[in-house]
Amino acid sequence: MGSLVGDDDLYIGSFLELFNLRFGIEQKDVEFAFGGITEMTFLQKEFQIFQVGRPFVHSAKLLGLGGLQNNRAKNRWFKLLTWLQTIPSDNAGETGDQRIVNALIANFGPGGATLPCFMRAHDSRDPKGYGLKVVVLVGDTPIFYIKQPYLTISLPMAPSVPP
Amino acid sequence: MGTASSASQLDSDRGGKLDAIYSGIAAYYSAKAEKFGPTPLGVDWTCQATQEMRFVQLLKLCDFTSAFSLNDLGCGYGALVSYLDRRHPDPPIDYLGIDVSANMVRQAKQLWGGRPAVAFVHGHIIPRTADYALASGIFNVELDQPREEWEKFIRESLDNLYETSLRGFAVNFMKRLAGTSGRKGLYYAEPADWAHYCANRFGAATEVREDYGMRESTLIVRIFGQKAKSSSK
Repeated sequence: MGSLVGDDDLYIGSFLELFNLRFGIEQKDVEFAFGGITEMTFLQKEFQIFQVGRPFVHSAKLLGLGGLQNNRAKNRWFKLLTWLQTIPSDNAGETGDQRIVNALIANFGPGGATLPCFMRAHDSRDPKGYGLKVVVLVGDTPIFYIKQPYLTISLPMAPSVPP
Repeated sequence: MGTASSASQLDSDRGGKLDAIYSGIAAYYSAKAEKFGPTPLGVDWTCQATQEMRFVQLLKLCDFTSAFSLNDLGCGYGALVSYLDRRHPDPPIDYLGIDVSANMVRQAKQLWGGRPAVAFVHGHIIPRTADYALASGIFNVELDQPREEWEKFIRESLDNLYETSLRGFAVNFMKRLAGTSGRKGLYYAEPADWAHYCANRFGAATEVREDYGMRESTLIVRIFGQKAKSSSK
């Protein structure tokens, strides 16, 4: 990801995984569900963590989505998330950042599907792919060995991206 | 500040045998504070959002229609002060944080020192009587302590909370996922057991809250009768 993440590119996968665990399918027992998307639903209901006008990166910081151990990589990951405000999305009129925030608000809001969420990357250089924009898919099944539908967020990535 | 009130009115388990537990807790959290500083990670929570969700549940104990005093046992760096500022700026709250980790108390004093009606003390005994008391996460990390000793520590802490609270107190416990043994070094509880303990021992009304999406429960203990009446004087 060029100057955004530099030689901490290696850790991007771990940040995606952290998001996917926090927003994933929770473990359940016979009494009640907790953790994962259930926890996130309660947090959103209580604190409105995702809000119109609040950049996704701010919410990511509140949720500790920068990991525990590597401050430099964490800061660079947040720099990448901040960069999403400058790129387009698959929805005309929404930046990449707004697309993510609005999709999460709709997912957790009244009448929302409350789907678990999955974040991944796509190669923005691929001429047959999504290109340099954030793409959100509702009801997608991004993990082929899990039937559960997700809200999928795909971030454009490449060895070098425009600032 | 209230009066130093550690004189037990109950048959307590206290016998000075818990020193190893208190020193173990102090060492564990002092190391966390050293590594992560005054942040949720520094008190072993995953993030500010989950840390504050616990405050939301624990504070359901309190009546915010009039001023009150509050003891915060295991206060860490005083995150509750910041939360109260944002979500409950009124009524005035006379706050005392108590923590067994000297590092934590030092960080708390650096953050909040000099602020009226906010104070911190180092130790494991609550040194004053207040309307309410909270303890968030203090029973979770038992490390390698024998279970019997850890539960003695919990009983002692609950006794201390009761003795120094006029209107009630609230604590939380981790809940083990059914069919799993849980992570080594962590204490998981059946909240109903501790609710039963508090109801029987203190003659208090108890409420267990589990409906907030996290793998844990909050136990709210409300005190009635003469003891509670004295708080309204």
